[in-house]
Amino acid sequence: MPEGSTEAGTGTQRRTPQWGMAIDLDRCTGCEACVVACASENNVPTAGEDQAAKGRTKHWIRIDRYYEGDFPNIRVRHRPVLCQQCDEAPCEPVCPVNATYQNAEGLNVQIYNRCIGTRYCAINCPYTVRFFNWYPPEWAEPLGLQLNPDVSVRPAGVVEKCTFCVQRIKRAKLNATAEGREVGDGEIQPACVQSCPAEAMVFGDLSDPSSRVARLANSRRAQRLLEELGTKPRVFYLERAD
Amino acid sequence: MDRRNFFRVVGTASGGAITGACGRKSEEIIPLLVPEEGITPGVESWHPAVCGECAAGCGILARVMASEREIEVDGERVRQRIATVKKLEGNPNDPTSGGRLCARGHAGLQALYGPDRLRGPMRRAGPRGAGRFEAVSWESAMQEAAEALDSAVAEDAGRVVFLSRPRADLRAANIAKFLSALGAPPACAVGVRDFAAEVQGAERAYGWRGIPAYAIRDATLVLSIGADFLSGWVSPVLYTRQFGHMRRGRPGVRGRLIHAESRFSLTAWNADRWLPVWPGGELALALGLGRALVDLGAGASPTRAVEAARAAFAEVDLDEASAACGMSAGTIREVATELAAASAPVVVAGASIVREHSADAVAAASALNVLLGRVGVAGGVMPPPTVLADLVEARPSSNRWRERLANANLVIIDGANPAYSSPSCREALANAGTVISLSSFVDDTSAYADVVLPDHDPLEREAVALPSASLVESVACSARFVAALHDSRPADSVLADLAASAGKPFEPLDAQGALTRLHATLGAGNGAGSSEGFVESALEQGCWQGRPASGGTTGVIGLGAFEVADSMVPAVFQAYESLQFGTGGGANRPWLQELPDPTSSAMWGLPLEIDPVTASELAIENGDIVRARSDHGSLEAPAYVNPAAIPGVISMAMGQGHSQYGRYASGRGANPMSLLGDMRDRRTGATAMGPVRVHLERLDKGKGLIQFSRQDRDVPPHRV
Repeated sequence: MPEGSTEAGTGTQRRTPQWGMAIDLDRCTGCEACVVACASENNVPTAGEDQAAKGRTKHWIRIDRYYEGDFPNIRVRHRPVLCQQCDEAPCEPVCPVNATYQNAEGLNVQIYNRCIGTRYCAINCPYTVRFFNWYPPEWAEPLGLQLNPDVSVRPAGVVEKCTFCVQRIKRAKLNATAEGREVGDGEIQPACVQSCPAEAMVFGDLSDPSSRVARLANSRRAQRLLEELGTKPRVFYLERAD
Repeated sequence: MDRRNFFRVVGTASGGAITGACGRKSEEIIPLLVPEEGITPGVESWHPAVCGECAAGCGILARVMASEREIEVDGERVRQRIATVKKLEGNPNDPTSGGRLCARGHAGLQALYGPDRLRGPMRRAGPRGAGRFEAVSWESAMQEAAEALDSAVAEDAGRVVFLSRPRADLRAANIAKFLSALGAPPACAVGVRDFAAEVQGAERAYGWRGIPAYAIRDATLVLSIGADFLSGWVSPVLYTRQFGHMRRGRPGVRGRLIHAESRFSLTAWNADRWLPVWPGGELALALGLGRALVDLGAGASPTRAVEAARAAFAEVDLDEASAACGMSAGTIREVATELAAASAPVVVAGASIVREHSADAVAAASALNVLLGRVGVAGGVMPPPTVLADLVEARPSSNRWRERLANANLVIIDGANPAYSSPSCREALANAGTVISLSSFVDDTSAYADVVLPDHDPLEREAVALPSASLVESVACSARFVAALHDSRPADSVLADLAASAGKPFEPLDAQGALTRLHATLGAGNGAGSSEGFVESALEQGCWQGRPASGGTTGVIGLGAFEVADSMVPAVFQAYESLQFGTGGGANRPWLQELPDPTSSAMWGLPLEIDPVTASELAIENGDIVRARSDHGSLEAPAYVNPAAIPGVISMAMGQGHSQYGRYASGRGANPMSLLGDMRDRRTGATAMGPVRVHLERLDKGKGLIQFSRQDRDVPPHRV
């Protein structure tokens, strides 16, 4: 569990939040609302049929689904998979230009204007949640009007990925600062979390033991994906009861 | 930053990475490249709106920000500053969406900004169905439409046919007013999703008018028969919210879900137990369960309704029912025992895949709730709210639309695409007197129009809509908050203008008028204050909600006889509503084209889903091109060998196979409805989606299937 650090504010001591997410797989239905919500919020372009056939689609969040057993005793295991914001992120040390790093709040940040497109990070990510832009993104007019001005459109030749909707984190912090208060638990909702009809996804400060996400992360059902690799992901999955 | 400093920073940063102590160090360095103020949130405002993507009627919020676009003025390209919608979210005030939104709801934005959206009115410039149009002025288009209306009404107003969508909203009320002014019959709903079976089933089992709602959030055991309520059906956001709560919203209580359907749908994925019913066997299963419950002594406190249900179920032969649905008598008894033992069971009765006997099947499944005493109680089935009765009355139904279309002197189309969902009606469209479309896009049906008068996008117009299912009296509503992007006009005012020019004027209802009427019907002492305050508050909140739904059954059971399903015939075919495209309307949104299909992981196309047994017999593998032939038609599509398909059952999702629907959808894939001919639910006339017998033939070994993930099984070491 990440521990919060303390940073000097303007005369007051404030705990640096440690962002994380919990996803309850007993609630998640695999409806993919999060997938489209993410594309809409983060200007994730569609690749088109030809590029999709080459495996070049970009889904910052996806639903992994695997069949188990055979008819009639068959079932599906599914889970939303996004950047796990690992504390020991395999993507970070392999970047030759330090375009990706973990910030003080635990986000694995990608700096698009530093990235030179080696794709080492994408290759080294065991969760396959990093995407290379083979071509400049295009939106047939007037689809460009849908773009979110808070999120930069990534050019060709760089790698992009889930940011935990850092622009929403920033907005919530600015609002809280303007109102002279701390960011409240549940106040920040990445687009996937906000959209989820089953309310399966919870985002918050893992270093605050009273936060909802911290409580869920401590659940007996909580597991992390490929935890055995030692990546220390910040996304906790609450397994289905059955 | 100059070039020298840039390399200094990069060099230091790289050193940090090599020493492995990059964390804090990079924090100190990187801000030089990405200043803290790098992300500056823009100025935004949020406005309530009503989602127009399906009939659920979710209240949503639209994020509006300033933008620029280029337009042509007097032959010159100039920039124009406009307010634009940037994002859609659920409206937390709205009891249907509760602040949540589904994939299709998000993609409503791409209908607003669709590159193939009509920029203005059009006149046909080629043969009907070819989709060739020329731009005309509104004056010219309206004159043409008015002349056609005049002449049709003068000839015989009874032959004016209005094809629309099954929604209870402002638009439906204005269409009803328009048709009433003309002396024409009510509008028809033509899609496969008009819930005629659900409405009739509820009327027969409970005596209710409308679509009932299921309080599954408070249930301990949910048995769903034929209702894929998590991926589509009546109200996917409402029921997914309820499902989440049922599972993990109550400390110490985890609700259980048993799902009976002829395909392994999203609801089946999430069920604790899936009952793979043979296509068309839903009625037999419901009757068999009823018989087993009667044998267990269910319905111990008899009322007239319970007595009627007991009497109907007592006549059922369990073994015969078992043979007809493909489930063993033992399994049926097991499920019945579980239902009888549960503290708060509920049976969700639906027809996600409409059959020839769907109305009977829904009535029989609904009657199980009567037997179990789960009607109008917490965690049971609740009656449809009764506010704004005129909107409910105006909701179009199937209503013999094919017969009327075949004899039409004027066809007006708004939000319906029968040429896609019932391809056999194309001939009638080609031969109809005049066809007027109010669509924003040229789709399969609008391609037959003589004149197209494009409507505003749902986000560009005001709205009042009743949710298709709700556990509380409520409406979602919105005022207009952005200007129309193109030269479109709201269809409500277009209809009023056409009626006026035909000398049959009517006063269209607007959002304010509908909400004022709602306030009046609530009566004095409703706590809603003045009419003006009520309307203002509702439009500001984006919704109004009143009392929770309540009431018991008043109905008399009238279950039909059931027939043995076609269980011995190999390879039957059924179509179904897809999660991403619904019944086809979402296919022109690129986000949805690239959204992996839940079953097959297919993108930019949908496959024929073939069970492993049939696939093995025909040596069919994923991606092979297969021809499917029925007595009604044929199609070619890539195959997906679905590990969860019932042996002998071939399925295909609706969505692709549009002859016309813009650059993202036209000519892409196959239309599964082309295999079905003119199948209908025998009691309601609703378009049925199977089963029909099919013959499969492998044409090519190939790579016809684009999949996001080609891996169906989690086999190490590819864990992710």
